[in-house]
Amino acid sequence: MTKPALEGLRILDLTQVAAGPYATMLLGLMGAEVIKVESLTRMDINRGRATVAPGDTRVYPGGVPGEHPWNRTAHHVHRNINKQDVTLDLADPKGKELFLKLVAACDVLIENYRASVMDRLGLGYEAVSEVNPRLIYVKISSQGATGPEQNYGSLGSTLEQTAGLASITGYENGPPLMTNETYPDPVVGFLSFGGLMAALRRRRKTGKGCLLDLSQRESTAMLLGEAVLDFSGNGTVAGTIGNRHRDMVPHGVYQCVGDDMWTAISVSSEDEWLGLCQAIGQPDLAFDPRFEERNTRRDNQDDLDEIITAWTMERDHYQVMHLLQAHGVPAGAVLNGSETIMDPHLAARGFWDLVDHSEAGVYKQTTTPWVLSKSPRLAATPAPGLGEHNYQVLGGLLGLSASEIDDLVEQRITGEIPSAEA
Amino acid sequence: MENNNEDNKAILSDIKVLDLSQGVPGPFAAKFLAGLGAEVVKVEAPGTGDYSRQSRPFLGNRYDAEGSALFSYLNTSKKSVTLSLDSPSQADSLKRLAEKSDILIESYTPGYLESLGLGYKALSEINPELIYVSVTPFGQSGPYRDYKGADIVAQAIGGLMYTVGIPEREPLKVGGEAGLYTIGVSAFSATMLALHIRDEQGFGQHVDISAMDVMAVAQIHSSINHQFGHKPVRRPTNLVQAKDGWVSPGLDTGVQAATWPKVCELMGVPEMVDDPKFTTPEARRANSQELLSVISAWVGTKPKEEVYHTLQALRTITGYVATVEDLLVSRQMVDREFFQTIEDPLLGPLAYPGAPFRMEGETWNLSRPPRLGEHNEEILVGRLGYSEEDLFQLANPVGNRDGE
Repeated sequence: MTKPALEGLRILDLTQVAAGPYATMLLGLMGAEVIKVESLTRMDINRGRATVAPGDTRVYPGGVPGEHPWNRTAHHVHRNINKQDVTLDLADPKGKELFLKLVAACDVLIENYRASVMDRLGLGYEAVSEVNPRLIYVKISSQGATGPEQNYGSLGSTLEQTAGLASITGYENGPPLMTNETYPDPVVGFLSFGGLMAALRRRRKTGKGCLLDLSQRESTAMLLGEAVLDFSGNGTVAGTIGNRHRDMVPHGVYQCVGDDMWTAISVSSEDEWLGLCQAIGQPDLAFDPRFEERNTRRDNQDDLDEIITAWTMERDHYQVMHLLQAHGVPAGAVLNGSETIMDPHLAARGFWDLVDHSEAGVYKQTTTPWVLSKSPRLAATPAPGLGEHNYQVLGGLLGLSASEIDDLVEQRITGEIPSAEA
Repeated sequence: MENNNEDNKAILSDIKVLDLSQGVPGPFAAKFLAGLGAEVVKVEAPGTGDYSRQSRPFLGNRYDAEGSALFSYLNTSKKSVTLSLDSPSQADSLKRLAEKSDILIESYTPGYLESLGLGYKALSEINPELIYVSVTPFGQSGPYRDYKGADIVAQAIGGLMYTVGIPEREPLKVGGEAGLYTIGVSAFSATMLALHIRDEQGFGQHVDISAMDVMAVAQIHSSINHQFGHKPVRRPTNLVQAKDGWVSPGLDTGVQAATWPKVCELMGVPEMVDDPKFTTPEARRANSQELLSVISAWVGTKPKEEVYHTLQALRTITGYVATVEDLLVSRQMVDREFFQTIEDPLLGPLAYPGAPFRMEGETWNLSRPPRLGEHNEEILVGRLGYSEEDLFQLANPVGNRDGE
């Protein structure tokens, strides 16, 4: 077919944790050359600790940290696919010099440290753009690159709070809740990909790079648009409504056969409502005065949920989904992690890639949230070990000899084994 | 820094978009394209329009087909024309618009537009550079292709929802339309990717966005943890009640060693500084319940934002649960002018979230959403040569629509 979508685009990746690594994972899957930069004292937090303390909650394959725990953590293995890995001590003058040479050789620098970290290292936008005026610097930060809270720290879970998402997530009339999935991270990962494409288009037009300033709090607040307008126009403060919906009824998850098995059902139109009555074998429900029209159904949704649950309780969650969908009713089994990797639909779409990771074993990898008809994604390649590509990148790209790199390893400016306290 | 290139225009100022999509994800993606300066023409069914026009809440707290908060938010900076795509002559009008467009976004059931002669194959024959973006619940292929979706369905089947909520309750949906918005973000980025490819390599293509795929990527822990032998579960909340709301103090694992004594001093518990139950992150996690009761006693007397600022000043990773009301007055959000007010002759002044990211010298287009068919004259008469009689027919449709 055609060449990989982003072939020839070189990314200098200083990201860590989730939002940034997710963006660069997608860039790698679409063919960009991603060079991940860590150091022997400061690894991507995803790798966990060099020395695993008792009570460490990170997930290792089979619960075993192994000889190189930093190369085996679930989060690292999952988020750092399709990348090369280089270690450089950015606080050391020689490390900094090499880093700036990489800057000169790359199209994009992307990082999601606390906002001030790169400036403190003397590697902020001003400094790196001087070395490479065509560089696009993607700065993902919790609060944005400006403003009184620019140096505040965050995690996905605190962003869900400060951006308002937690205020509308929770059981009906219950307290706010976070997602346990650090939801802003994938959202920002997806968004920064599109932002970068926009910056590349800008560079094509103007010949210049730029700083792309992305505040995770702002991009998460974008998920509350209609609630912002509702408050602005009507003074209404949105709260928690559980699995219910402003317009749709019935709307929720319904318990099925098995331990903690559920199916989500959402009915918006009259056709879907009639389909539901048919599917559960109770066509008369459509004539029940409690459920005659949407407004009465809303008033009596507890009763309705009970009737539906009596039916779902006797069936498997997938069976409920298929029966309802056969009647034109939106429904989906609530899948857990091990079910998603077995799901026939995702399998048929080629969504999962089987990856054989030399230190973590064989597993199924999530891929891209899009399919392009003429520009297929690449196959997932295993997440690199720490410093795995030092010789390849410092030698191949920067032209250092093997003995020069050996010296750097000797000085701990680069290397593959992290400091014990890292 | 001023841009000295004479082509100092918005990033997508040369791009024309046809937005045939309805609901949340497709329109959200198209809104972003409009924000970057593309001309986005929304094609809606005469009489009713995008079904999100019927979605609550309504501004002014009463039903008005032009007053949905959801529709308004999702359709800023767009133009609206009305066409009945199931009428062959109007489908032909759409074809003529598509011939001159760069991007088409649609969200119909797979195969429906094809049946009207408006599928990717047909349109790419008249415009090979067209980027044709389909945003559907399950995508263009696979056994669930024809199944229907919704936000809660996507969050369920994609594996996101299972771990949301608390252990003793059912799985919980991430609130609002969060799943659908995320699918829209993915559609936006994929569209920008396809445009980048077109800029570089010269061809258009069909972009397939499946809500299930997007949610399966958005679950960032479950599938991998489960495979590594750690079954994902719903977990109790770690929020603590402040005087006027909720905070997560972030004192269990996120605290540097040097910060801990300061935190103890602040909470008025100097005896905890050297207590081995709390001196390391691991110890604090192991004794989190006891720690929580001390923190709760302190937090309970203070306003949530005060706790947030006080603890952040100590470099802890603290959060407070902002409501939409809090967001609009957050000093950070205000300082960055994230929310923008749009004056709307029909709806009055309204605050909208602004740019999702910023680049020097680039502005984000944000103007009021279009009334249904507001730009029929400009587009259908001006570009396609419709007569006033044709417009009248459009405004007074006969027969019914199908295919949604």
